[in-house]
Amino acid sequence: MIRAYVTWVALRAAGRVLRAALKVATAIAAVVAATPATVVAAYSYTIAWLLGWPPRRLYRAAAWCLPMLGVLFGAQALRTGQWGDTWREPFGSWRQMWRLAARGAPLAGLATAAPVAIPTGLLIGALAWSYRVFSMEIGTGGLTADAPITFDLRQWRHQVRSARARIAAPGAVPLVSRRGAIATGAVIRTVQHPGAATARAPYARLRSHQVVIGTTGTGKTTLLLRLWAGFVAVTWRRFAAGSGGRPLLIVLDCKGGADSRQVADRVRRVLRSAGARSTAVWPDEASLSVWDLPADQLVTTLLELIEHGVGGAAYYADVMDAVVSMAIMAPCGPPASSADFLSRLDADWLALAHASDPAARNAMRWSAKQVADVALRFRALFRRLGTGLDGPGSFDDADVWYCILEGTAETAVAEAQAKALVEILAAYAARPGGSGAEILLAVDEFSAVSRRVPIWHLYERARSLGLAVQVSAQSWHGLAERNDDRYRIAATADGGIWLLRTPFPDPISELAGSRRMVDTTRKLLGWWLWRGDGYARAHYTQVVDPDIVRSLDVGQAAYIYRGGVTYVQVKRLVAGLSAIPGRILAPTQGAPQAVAPSRRPLPAAPQLERLPDASQLLDDVFGAEQHRGEVSG
Amino acid sequence: MTTSATPSGGTAPAATWLTQRDIDGLVFTGEMYGIQLDQLTTLLTATEERARAVSARWRAHGYADTARLGPGKAWLWLTRMGLAACGLPYSAAPPALSRLAHIRAVTAVRLALESSGVYRTAAATWRSERRLRACTGRPGAAVHIPDGEVHWPDSADVPYAGECWAIEAELTAKTVRRTASIMAELLARTGDYGCPATQRAVPGASPWHARALYLCSPAARHTVVRARGELGAALAARIEVRDLPPGARM
Repeated sequence: MIRAYVTWVALRAAGRVLRAALKVATAIAAVVAATPATVVAAYSYTIAWLLGWPPRRLYRAAAWCLPMLGVLFGAQALRTGQWGDTWREPFGSWRQMWRLAARGAPLAGLATAAPVAIPTGLLIGALAWSYRVFSMEIGTGGLTADAPITFDLRQWRHQVRSARARIAAPGAVPLVSRRGAIATGAVIRTVQHPGAATARAPYARLRSHQVVIGTTGTGKTTLLLRLWAGFVAVTWRRFAAGSGGRPLLIVLDCKGGADSRQVADRVRRVLRSAGARSTAVWPDEASLSVWDLPADQLVTTLLELIEHGVGGAAYYADVMDAVVSMAIMAPCGPPASSADFLSRLDADWLALAHASDPAARNAMRWSAKQVADVALRFRALFRRLGTGLDGPGSFDDADVWYCILEGTAETAVAEAQAKALVEILAAYAARPGGSGAEILLAVDEFSAVSRRVPIWHLYERARSLGLAVQVSAQSWHGLAERNDDRYRIAATADGGIWLLRTPFPDPISELAGSRRMVDTTRKLLGWWLWRGDGYARAHYTQVVDPDIVRSLDVGQAAYIYRGGVTYVQVKRLVAGLSAIPGRILAPTQGAPQAVAPSRRPLPAAPQLERLPDASQLLDDVFGAEQHRGEVSG
Repeated sequence: MTTSATPSGGTAPAATWLTQRDIDGLVFTGEMYGIQLDQLTTLLTATEERARAVSARWRAHGYADTARLGPGKAWLWLTRMGLAACGLPYSAAPPALSRLAHIRAVTAVRLALESSGVYRTAAATWRSERRLRACTGRPGAAVHIPDGEVHWPDSADVPYAGECWAIEAELTAKTVRRTASIMAELLARTGDYGCPATQRAVPGASPWHARALYLCSPAARHTVVRARGELGAALAARIEVRDLPPGARM
């Protein structure tokens, strides 16, 4: 009995071994028989793994081979005249390959089978790679429990390497595509977005509101420069085609300091290459005029530039309102400059100007004592603001305005400047007949100056005026002062959100939404052996993985739009030669300001030692100077 | 583009027919906004008929255009194709009517300087107002741009080697204060055109323009001399005032 049982066990084991050996032998035979196709399949699978390709890329490659196959079969059928036997052609090629190989011409055989073997191999490779990716995504693949995690991390590294290689190739990522979309870089990975090699944002997205978040040194400026250059280039293209206005990009850099000047210089050089004819750096090199505002708006703006107290101070606010209104609404017209305005803040002048108006005269009598105080406050305000808002100049003067607000060093001044700039821009955009420009307002770290211009008001106002607003900040908290405002800004960014490395991406990840995934559990038999049964369940997982965002490298960004995300390796735009040889110094209090030439003070000239005499050359070419002693120095 | 046969049997663009003199003339014209035919004659050191033939050839290639814009001879300026061929990043446009006299005066100054043996021996270079304006990148910027700059190489065998001169051609008189302001700005400048505002006038740094050369018409001479007097002895020593060369007026 025992003997019979042992024999039965031995036979059963032998049968199992035989069955397994048969399976392996059949598989090997199939692999060998389909040799060219299996080689292509193995190669494509390896390439997809190495480069982190999505399976659809292999499917697409296989599909692109079909026309070649069709042409081959068509030509063959035309040659033989037997259209009914066309379906047998793949097998015929395969047989022919082996015949040629047997005759000692393996290369000729491979060439014969290649038209059929390549698409077949690509298809097999794509199917195998799809299965691998799918099994890892749902957690059933791999030998160990952490295999899916390791696979994902490794694939991320491969995808990043591929994206970097793609943007390193010259001309691989042109700024603007043929369809007018703005290319920002190479795609690393997409989730819920269609896959592509190049990340492109249609122009309409830049004409909507966008949010950019990224800490210092993560490539935020590089990304913004690319988006701005794309905006300028596409808008010019549309303008030339007669389907839009000229571009007007206004950047409010609310940090200030030497870094902002360096960025301004880079912006100028990059955008010049993109087609911007002129870049004005405010207030260092150009000026705007707050005095061009309509009179009633000018009164409101000037009053808001001055900080008022509460309680008893409200009385003085009303007095100031009356005085400023009378100075601006004078019958002779509104003032043309701060000097003109200050000269009007004189009780005698105001009484004379409004002599024909009894009500204004009475008001003047009541507030005559306070006029000097009002003048003092405005004199102090204009001294601190500098001449940047005193004209001449308007947003028509340049395609790009880079406005530097010293939000870090001079917060109160920067707040007043921001207020005035927003008013000037609003008046420009709302002027009769329209501005004639497609305006993009880019605001960087506006929260630094948003105490008196809440960013939400700016946001809403820009929307009502048809301006696109791009808000950028170093962190979620830098978006706005209050959490409600942050959510309102992020939730209404219908042009998408760009996330670079930031330590707190969770609110944005939540806003990006979730997707359904399958989660599988398996039973573990030993330390690495899995049983064949388990459980699977559908669950929701976040579209944007906060951990990926936290670990993004320099130049990598996650673009979140309509419930999907595209991870992008941003392509840096190369500008012309730098005008800055090294790190520049922060401007002093008396930094050069643009003023009317007639009011420009004489700068102190550097002194030189005695110059060498050049009079011989000049006398030879232009004749001797006859009037050296005409006017004594 | 017109093509011509080459010995190898291929084709080459018609630009291969341009001589070095053509290239120099095209670049000169592009840098100076435009040039009048008599000045082109001087530039090419040719007869007027020859200069006309050259300009006709440039026009036939599509590199230049000509028209009689004002008094005197016809004007010649580079087209978009000509500017692209010369590698000049400017917008193609005929010389503005309001600036014809000024452009002619500046061109006369440049031709006079470049005709001198010292200038040629020293291999000095002229940087035109158009180039300087392109460097600043902002038309109408609140900086004054001179009508030209002359750069003397460090290796030149002249006492003023390594210097950069600002050139101003004055046809009409401005106010003394305005002229003095421009002079002071030119001499106070420490950075190249296109540099950040913070480097434009850095205390203690060496000046960008070692001296300013004013070439004046009789009408403007008195104002310029008075403006120089307003600056004080140290700065006035760096201002050279001379008369415009003959032929500078239209």
